[in-house]
Amino acid sequence: MSQTMQIGERETSLWGRLRLTIARRTEGRGVVLLAAVLIVVAFTEPLVFTSYQVSLGRIALIGLVALGLTAVILMGELDLSVASTLAVSGVVVALIPDIRLGIIAALVVGVLIGVVNAFFVAIVGINSFIATLGMLFALRGLAFVLSDEAPVKITDVEAGIAFGQPLIGPITPRVLIFILAFIAIQVFVSRVKAGREFFAVGGNRQAAYDAGIPVKRRIFTGFMISGFVAALAGVINTLERTAADPTAGATVLLASFAAAIIGGNYLKGGRGSIVGTLIGATALGVLQVALTLSGVQVPIQQIFIGGILLLAVTTDPANLRAVLGSVRSLRLGRSKLQTPGSGS
Amino acid sequence: MAKETLTEVIAVAETESAITKSKTSPLEWIAENGIFVFTALLILASVVFVDGFASLVNITDVFHRAAPIGIVAVGMTFVVISGNYLDLSVVAQVATSAVILIAVSNEYGLPLAMLAALLAAAVFGIVNGVAVGYFKANAVIVTLSTTYIGLGLLRYFSGGSIFFGPPDGLIREFGLGKLGPVPYSALVLLIMTIILGFVLNRTNFGFLVRSFGVNERATRLSGTNTAAVVIGAFLVTAVAAMVAGWVLAAFSNTAVSAMSQGYDFRALAAIIVGGTSVFGGKGSVLRTLVGVIFVSVLTNVLVLSGISFGYQQMALGALIVTAVTVDALSRKVAKR
Amino acid sequence: MTPQASQSGDVVIEARGIVKRFGGAVAVNNVSLSVREGEIHAVVGENGAGKSTLMRVLAGIIEQDSGEVVVAGKPLESGAKNSIAAGIALVHQELSLVPEMTVAENILLGYAPTRFGFTKSKELEAIAAEALEEIGVSVDLNERISRLSVALRQFVEIARAIARKPKVLILDEPTATLTPAETDYLLTMLQRLAARGMSIIYISHRIPEVIRICDNVTILRDGQKVMESAVVETSPEGIVDQMVGRELKLDLQSRRDAKPGDVVLRAEGIRAPGVNGVDLEVRAGEIVGLGGLVGAGRTELVRAIIGADNRTAGRVTKFKDGRARTLAGYQSAIRNGVAYVPEERRTDGLALAMSVSDNITLTNRDELSSFGIQLRGKIARFSQDLAEKVGLRPPEIRREAGQYSGGNQQKIVIAKWLGRRPDFIVLDEPTRGVDVGAKAEIHKLVKALADEGTAVLVVSSDLPELLELADTIHVIRDGKIAGTLQGDEANEKTVMSLAAGEKMVDA
Repeated sequence: MSQTMQIGERETSLWGRLRLTIARRTEGRGVVLLAAVLIVVAFTEPLVFTSYQVSLGRIALIGLVALGLTAVILMGELDLSVASTLAVSGVVVALIPDIRLGIIAALVVGVLIGVVNAFFVAIVGINSFIATLGMLFALRGLAFVLSDEAPVKITDVEAGIAFGQPLIGPITPRVLIFILAFIAIQVFVSRVKAGREFFAVGGNRQAAYDAGIPVKRRIFTGFMISGFVAALAGVINTLERTAADPTAGATVLLASFAAAIIGGNYLKGGRGSIVGTLIGATALGVLQVALTLSGVQVPIQQIFIGGILLLAVTTDPANLRAVLGSVRSLRLGRSKLQTPGSGS
Repeated sequence: MAKETLTEVIAVAETESAITKSKTSPLEWIAENGIFVFTALLILASVVFVDGFASLVNITDVFHRAAPIGIVAVGMTFVVISGNYLDLSVVAQVATSAVILIAVSNEYGLPLAMLAALLAAAVFGIVNGVAVGYFKANAVIVTLSTTYIGLGLLRYFSGGSIFFGPPDGLIREFGLGKLGPVPYSALVLLIMTIILGFVLNRTNFGFLVRSFGVNERATRLSGTNTAAVVIGAFLVTAVAAMVAGWVLAAFSNTAVSAMSQGYDFRALAAIIVGGTSVFGGKGSVLRTLVGVIFVSVLTNVLVLSGISFGYQQMALGALIVTAVTVDALSRKVAKR
Repeated sequence: MTPQASQSGDVVIEARGIVKRFGGAVAVNNVSLSVREGEIHAVVGENGAGKSTLMRVLAGIIEQDSGEVVVAGKPLESGAKNSIAAGIALVHQELSLVPEMTVAENILLGYAPTRFGFTKSKELEAIAAEALEEIGVSVDLNERISRLSVALRQFVEIARAIARKPKVLILDEPTATLTPAETDYLLTMLQRLAARGMSIIYISHRIPEVIRICDNVTILRDGQKVMESAVVETSPEGIVDQMVGRELKLDLQSRRDAKPGDVVLRAEGIRAPGVNGVDLEVRAGEIVGLGGLVGAGRTELVRAIIGADNRTAGRVTKFKDGRARTLAGYQSAIRNGVAYVPEERRTDGLALAMSVSDNITLTNRDELSSFGIQLRGKIARFSQDLAEKVGLRPPEIRREAGQYSGGNQQKIVIAKWLGRRPDFIVLDEPTRGVDVGAKAEIHKLVKALADEGTAVLVVSSDLPELLELADTIHVIRDGKIAGTLQGDEANEKTVMSLAAGEKMVDA
């Protein structure tokens, strides 16, 4: 009766299990980039390592926004509006005199933006690329309207300055918030049923529907997470600078996307990891700080980051496989041109 | 296998009638033709209700502002119709073209400047086209990255400074020139609309762009090199952005890297509002022109009414979302 | 080994008078069926007979128009959740798994046990392990589906179905993608499950499998039940007879008198995913047919030959006017006179939102334009001619292709390729979903093409069609040619036996 079919070898050796674990993971490109960045920086700008608080801070900001993006990307959607959400919530917190009320209001705004995004994507059925793009534009306008097109100073300047001070060792509140957010979202996506189902919504949406997963609800959750962390980033930004900039967010958008994608998160959804995003954010954060410390001007930094994003998005392993396959096929076909002769 | 059988059963059901007639619902009619009506109404309402709209100075100003955005929009229509969403890098392309025109012509003369700008446009078009058409990467992300690469390069080489054309040069003359009340720039827009419209409707290339947008697989399986089609669409956009940059530079006889801000979403707004579907396949260059008129008049009215830039932007963003919603809903209704 | 005929045991699930229509066509016409505890019940029929539709009704995925389904005495309400709650489990094809989630998670997809929202992973793994053990398959629970072989995925699918301990297990062509050894294992496993009291409904084309493990068989044809009997009381020929509804004698009059000419296309050593080494030739004026079961690799083969999918090995040579050209990729194939009518005409063959003449223009651009500019007049004349030639009804070339019926749409696809005057054309399931009248017309078209000297390669799951059209039939099994039948050698029995891999006569 216990005739079992052994299919799929069970790896028991340590080396074998290690190899398996590596093969299963998606963060490969992120690790490569991080290693490359660290090695180059070690030689050219070792200052980066000694003044690591700056790096931590940069990684935290990029990573925070990227975390939210990852949640949405895993489901096969995009949230381009995060840059404007950051700006709007930054302005909101500056406008409200009571800082605690301001922070809460800003976060609520972020969540609401997420709800609106999800509404257009899940209920109306608009492609998330376009829906969030439209929101990106509209919210940029909102940020300008609320701020009267000029930076807005926060009322409680001391609180803002205090926010920038390190709390535990070199860890500033910004970094702490990022660490907490990372843990929360990582746990959500790996241990909470609703979070696990994000992979199903992105990986095989039809199967998700058939299995009874509330796909629309998950989409709402994802966009709300994205809006929330973007708002968080906006609040942090405003507090630390003691003023809100309605144009904030553009470069962070670029770097966050680069971080998420090179961290192995597949744009079509269903594949990737939060850890990968962390690795990607670390790579990009260190890179940016190194460039700044080397005195490289901002435009060149943008070229670097833009270039990495372009590379990341064109070298997606799944797409590449198809491209390489067709190249191989063509070479096969050209292998030997026949001499003239008819068939029998 | 279950999937096949279902398709085949549904297909057998179609044989009830050799042809299924489709009835156009009111929502579909609005999606299709609304824009023409709305544009006419908007112009009418503006003439009647908005102070200062109908003056010669203002109309000329509307033309001047509409022209560069319109040129970009009619070019970008190719990318949108091909189903590749949009080209965000027009922001970088327009500014690059303007700066190259003025900076290079000051030193080396106009023909060389135009050649250099053409070269830059070709690079943009090819990089975008290859990434999207050959590597099949998402156009929004790709053009987002090329925007920043392009702007970065531009700011680095131009140092962010403003370039001035000579006060008596050809560029200035073009910028000031008019045919009656219509500035040369608007004429350029008209000519480009006609040319690009012809290309889209009457040439093989335009046909392929449209069919690619309707059904990429079928287009590929009929033996077409689809990567080339996509590269072509991005090249058209790049050339249009190049011309728009020249027109923009001529307007003020200056060029600076920040001058093309907002061109991405304004062009997209014009295209979508004009009725070209962002899902690809449906639309035309003429519609984009009407959309440009609508958006320009609307912006002008808002400015005349003293509404701040922020509200304008919100209005345009909301307009985009509304137009796309109407399009999406009308498609759902059509499917039923 | 003759299975125990379980005539005892309670009726677990019963379908009474199920009727289901799609549009105007009746897919399932008053079918009744009952299955007892521990019984393995086969449902057999050709493509389009209504098997899958009936199963979807039972699984609650679609709702019947009339009739009812009764489970353990209680009528079943429609809806997948209700069916699952009532203990009915449908094994989908492996497309229903999430590639990047683990085996354990897929087995309990959507139903993972939780505490305060957190997945209880120990319990999840225990349930998953139990399900896998029940079917006797050992797989690393943490492995991702994307890294498993196709056969393993099928088994995980089955584990998913039985994880919630269903009363009724429905399997739709489960062995389509399995090797003989894996098939053998699956069948033994199903017998074991049935012996423990599970009711199994087994949908298949493969008569040997049905004979081997099933107690009873219901045969559907054109949506109706034509026979139900205990397996021991029937024979393979009897089953095929009822499935097909006609005598096995072939009407030889409709066969062509083919005089094939020189070789037009030669494929050697073709390998690709699903294709394991195939050589074949097609001559001018010859119609070569590819028969075989679903999943045998026929579509993959033709697509690999013409380059629509990537080959991993093999060479394709095309001969014309005494010259030979190696075909490198799809575009080079098309340029060299190859035409391809794909299986899925709606997604691959036509731009439904464009007009008939637009679709025809798509493949004939070069001829219909001058210096890249389209010649409207020429396009109109060209399209009109072709539309009339293929018998498009009505031949309105400005009409949207999507507004035509399936048969007419297929004619448009054929028309667009005819315009190129190809010397080699591949047709994959040319009359699927096509009404009887258009089917006959398309057959005439194909034969006429061959008569004019075109080399034709046809893939078809419709045996009578294959037998009528093809001069030579290669039967594909497991990605290889299992056998070749020339002319009169080919009949339904010989084709089916090569396709299924077992002699059908022996029990």
